[in-house]
Amino acid sequence: MNKNRPTPLVHTERLLALVPYISANQGISTVELAKTFNVSLSQMNNDLMTLWMCGLPGYTALELMDLSFDSGYVTIHNAPTLQKPRSLNFDEIVSLLFGLDLIKESIPSDSELQGKVTELIGRLSAKSPISSKLRATDTVASSLRAQIEMAINSKKSLKIDYHSLYNDKFSNRVITPLELRTESGIEYVFAYCNSATSFRVFRLDRMQNVIAAEIDIEALHGQNVNSNKEIEYVLTISDRSRLMKERFAIEDVGNGQDIQLQSFSEQWIERSIFASSASATLVRPAKIRAEIAKKAKLLLERYQVVRDA
Amino acid sequence: MSRKSERLVNLTIALLATKRYLTKNEIFKSIEGYEGSDESKERMFERDKDDLRSLGIEIEVGGFDPLFNDEAGYRIKPETYRLDLGELSGTDIALLSLAAQAWNGQALNEAAHSAIVKLKSIGIDSDVDSIPTLAPRMAWSTTELTSVLEAIASRKVITFDYFSVQLEKVTRRIQPYAVASRGGYWYFTGFDIDKEDLRTFRFDRVAHEIIIANKPDSYEIPEGFDLLTNFDGDVTTSVAILDVRKDKCFALRKNAHRIEDAGEWDRIWLDYSDTNSFVDLILWHMDDVIVIEPKALQENVVQRLKDLVATHE
Repeated sequence: MNKNRPTPLVHTERLLALVPYISANQGISTVELAKTFNVSLSQMNNDLMTLWMCGLPGYTALELMDLSFDSGYVTIHNAPTLQKPRSLNFDEIVSLLFGLDLIKESIPSDSELQGKVTELIGRLSAKSPISSKLRATDTVASSLRAQIEMAINSKKSLKIDYHSLYNDKFSNRVITPLELRTESGIEYVFAYCNSATSFRVFRLDRMQNVIAAEIDIEALHGQNVNSNKEIEYVLTISDRSRLMKERFAIEDVGNGQDIQLQSFSEQWIERSIFASSASATLVRPAKIRAEIAKKAKLLLERYQVVRDA
Repeated sequence: MSRKSERLVNLTIALLATKRYLTKNEIFKSIEGYEGSDESKERMFERDKDDLRSLGIEIEVGGFDPLFNDEAGYRIKPETYRLDLGELSGTDIALLSLAAQAWNGQALNEAAHSAIVKLKSIGIDSDVDSIPTLAPRMAWSTTELTSVLEAIASRKVITFDYFSVQLEKVTRRIQPYAVASRGGYWYFTGFDIDKEDLRTFRFDRVAHEIIIANKPDSYEIPEGFDLLTNFDGDVTTSVAILDVRKDKCFALRKNAHRIEDAGEWDRIWLDYSDTNSFVDLILWHMDDVIVIEPKALQENVVQRLKDLVATHE
C-alpha cells in the first residue's frame, strides 16, 4: 500500500528508519547500509548527508544528533529520540503474521519453538485488526525446500524418489539441483538428472525420501543433453472453459475454435484428455485421438463386465 | 527533495521529543524551512502533518490553553511511534526474520523487508542456530492481495470481474472477510452482496483490478467467523470404493483410508467431496482404475467415457 507514495515521503521514511538501524549496528559500512535499504551508494551518502544536516545545531534546538560517516563507516550518537525503531505498520504486521502462520506448520508441534511462534502471533495480532482473518499454508515441507537450496548452494546432489505423474510410477533418481522455479503456484526444481543423464524439471510436491548423495557436479561436465521433442496437438473446448484454460495452460480460449498447443509427453496429452472428457476434445494428432477412443472403448467394456457381475 | 524530507524529520524529532504540546509558532521558530508569509507557513505545516500521518505517524492535537490564545498544540506520543512487541529474544528475532523471508519476491516482500530492518534496529542479535533450517515460501500472488487486505482492515466493499466456470467475466460485489493461501494459490472469502451468501475466490481468477469502495466500516465481519472451517468444513463427503491396479494410482492411494489386497488389483476406500474433480482424477488414471461404488459415481464415469468415444472416434 506504499506503492504510490511520493518521493520525499519515501525518503523521509528511510531517514527515520536509518537512525535506529545505525544505532543498533554502529560502525556499519555505507555499502552495506545501501544494500540493506535497497538504494545506490550515492543515494545512501546523500541520505546520510541529509541526516547530518538534521543534526546540526540551530536546525532543531531540541536535538543534536552526532553522525559520522566520512570514513565509509557510520556511527551515530546522541539520537535518543529516534533511536528506537518505528512501530510496525499494517503491511508489515500482516506480512509477519502470514509468515509465522506458514512456518508454524513446519515446526514440530511438541517443540518449544511452536509455543514461541504462537506467542509472537499473539503479540502481533494485538496490533492488527484482522489477524485472525489470515492463513497461509506451504505447498511443500519447507525443510525439503531448504534441503534443495542447500544442495544448489553447495553444488551437491540428492537422492530422491520421484513420482512421475505421466507414468504414474515412482522412480529412484540422483539429481543435481540447479535452480528453483515457481510457475502458476507450483514449485519446480530444474536439475541435472544423473539417472536420465539429461536436464529435467521436477515438481517439489512429488519428491519423497530426499537424502544427500555424494556426487560431485564437476563429474557432470561433458554430459550430453538429451532434449525431448515437443508434440504439437490441437484441441477444442466445449465446457468448463476456466478449468480447461488452467489445465492446458491456454492463453486465449476463444470460442470453440481449434487451439494449438505443445507437450513433451504423449501420455500427458492422453491422460489430460481423459480427465477433460465432455469438456475438451482432441482434434489432432489423429494417432493419439484414435488411441484415446480405443482405450475408452476397452474401459467401457470392462465396466460392462463389472456391472454384469 | 531533501529539503522537504529534512523538514519532516526535524518536525518528527521535535514533536516526539517534547513532553508538552508545541504550538505552531513554536514549531515555526525552532524548525528550519517554514518560510514565507504566515499563510504559506500554515499551508506548509498542514501538508507536513498530512504527510507524516500518511506515513502512519500519529500526531496528537491538544493542549488548548487560554494563555496560548486558544491555539492548538501538537505532539507525537513515543508509545505510538515506537516499536513495542514486548521483550524479544534472539530466537524471536530469528523466527520473525524467517517469517519475513517467506515473502521473497512475493506480494508483501517490500513490507516484510522493512519489518526486518525495524527488527534489526532493536539491537538484539538474531539467534539463527536456535531454529531449524527451513525455507518457507509464500505462494505466488497478484498485487491484488494487498488491495483485499486493505479492504478487510477498513471493511470496505470490493468490486471486481471474476472468471466464471465457463470463463465468462462476471462482476462481483463482495464484503471481504479473510485471506488465505492453500495448495499454492491465494484465496479470499467474503459475503457476496448479490448472491447473499459466503463465497470464496481465487486471486488469479480475478479478471481485472479490484476496486475498493471509498466508504469504510460499511459492514461487519461476523464475530467468530472462522476462516478454516469456512475453507474445510461444511462440505459433505461420500465414500468411494475403487479397484486400482498394483503399483499404480498413487494420487488416489495416498487418500485411501482402507486398502485390501485383491491379487492383481487392490481395492481402496476413500472420501471425496467434489464429484466433478474426483471423476476427472479417476479418468486421469485411465484403465488403471475401476469404480465399484457408489453406483452414481460409476454411472458418471461411464457417461464421460461414452462421451470420450463419441467425440474421438
